[in-house]
Amino acid sequence: MSLEIDRFSHIESSVQRWDPRIKILSLGFFIFVVAILKTIPVAVISLLIAIIIIKITNIPFHFVANSIKVIVLFLAPFFLLLPFSYPGEAAFHLIGLPFAWEGLRLAILIFTKAVTIVLTTNAIFGSSRFDISMIALQSLKCPKLLVQMILFTYRYIFVFIDEVKRMEKAMRSKGFVMKANMNTLRTMGNFVGTLLIRSFERTERVYSAMVSKGYQGELHTLVTFEAQGKDFVKAGLIAILTIAVFVTDMINIFHPAIKGWY
Amino acid sequence: MHIADGILSAPVLAAGFGGTAILAAVTMRKMDHEEIPKVSVMSALFFVVNLIHIPIGPTSIHFIMNGLVGVILGKKAFPAIMLGVILQAFLFGFGGVTVIGVNCVMLGGGALAAYFIWQLRHRFLLGDRLEMIFGALAGVTGIFVSGVILALALFLTGEEFLATAGYALTAHIPALIIEAIVVGACASFLKKTKPDLLSGQVRKRILKTS
Repeated sequence: MSLEIDRFSHIESSVQRWDPRIKILSLGFFIFVVAILKTIPVAVISLLIAIIIIKITNIPFHFVANSIKVIVLFLAPFFLLLPFSYPGEAAFHLIGLPFAWEGLRLAILIFTKAVTIVLTTNAIFGSSRFDISMIALQSLKCPKLLVQMILFTYRYIFVFIDEVKRMEKAMRSKGFVMKANMNTLRTMGNFVGTLLIRSFERTERVYSAMVSKGYQGELHTLVTFEAQGKDFVKAGLIAILTIAVFVTDMINIFHPAIKGWY
Repeated sequence: MHIADGILSAPVLAAGFGGTAILAAVTMRKMDHEEIPKVSVMSALFFVVNLIHIPIGPTSIHFIMNGLVGVILGKKAFPAIMLGVILQAFLFGFGGVTVIGVNCVMLGGGALAAYFIWQLRHRFLLGDRLEMIFGALAGVTGIFVSGVILALALFLTGEEFLATAGYALTAHIPALIIEAIVVGACASFLKKTKPDLLSGQVRKRILKTS
């Protein structure tokens, strides 16, 4: 699993050139509308929109596929659970279990929406450097403290993973094998404890170094954003698409997947 | 334990964001800049241990560790969990952007409940095993409370999710046991090696008299 979400932010495309602030706002709006859709055909249309956006960014498919894999594993139980547990009359019985089409429809709807949202999130954060995305969030009036903590944590994640790998190698070289028993679990507890102590000590060092260089809890940056006409045209395009999707869903041209959801 | 995008209804999503805003405002009120690194380390830990899988028979489960975050950070556990959840949503859609609110309330609420249980240890005298037992209880509480909030969110969305909520709760029983042992072991290890990392060290009553 690759955590470097901004690995392909250097590719040139009209999404990458888009002002990050406006990109986050307009695609964020799209995501929230997708989350409350109720009909499958409209959800599929929004999935197509998301695929087109990802295509425009030129982010390679195998990179996006990683996140989709997570979603598939996560949502697989829904396909098994919902059709057999949907309240109401069953269409037929499968190995003695009541099977309801409504349940399957609901599972498909959930799956389509989840993939759409993940693709769009990838398009937002995969198309600019992560720190620039965060600075964009800050200029969108996100609390400064929060933005800085996100940046710190993002940095620590990679440090942490390196540390975990190093300690794992040390444990393996001493003959440790992960098994489902008490000993493994207790060792894991000590492992996490050691990891914490090491990381805290490192962080304290880094923090004192930052303070001694004048850090006062504020992020200074040379990055400035300048929205141009083109940026607003793109935003307008996404807004029109989003509203169209929302209205089609609302006026119920298609059969809603769940009746009486709201 | 996360909930994915596209499942919950709009009122539940909105309630999640509202709850997160309130809890974040309350827990971050008196936060110093000096605390940023400590909180960020715990966020990173929460993020990374979520990726460690333990094999159990044919499947594997991953750590959640919100109880441990509660044990170490106390009330500041909420912002730490919140950052972890936000990054998981941004980086690989683990959870999702629209369910950040619900996931924060779910996992962060569990962490706060774990802290509450952890603090009860001052009322007992169990000697050497005190930290291990209450660490284990905090680990259990973290997951249990999160599981209940998850089930509640599913139930409030619609009764067709009732069976799913039940499944989610039972699926977390192995995680509950594993987490109890690991958090207990970790708490007693930290007590022996670096006790000032654990939250709520000093009893208030002693502070008053001195």
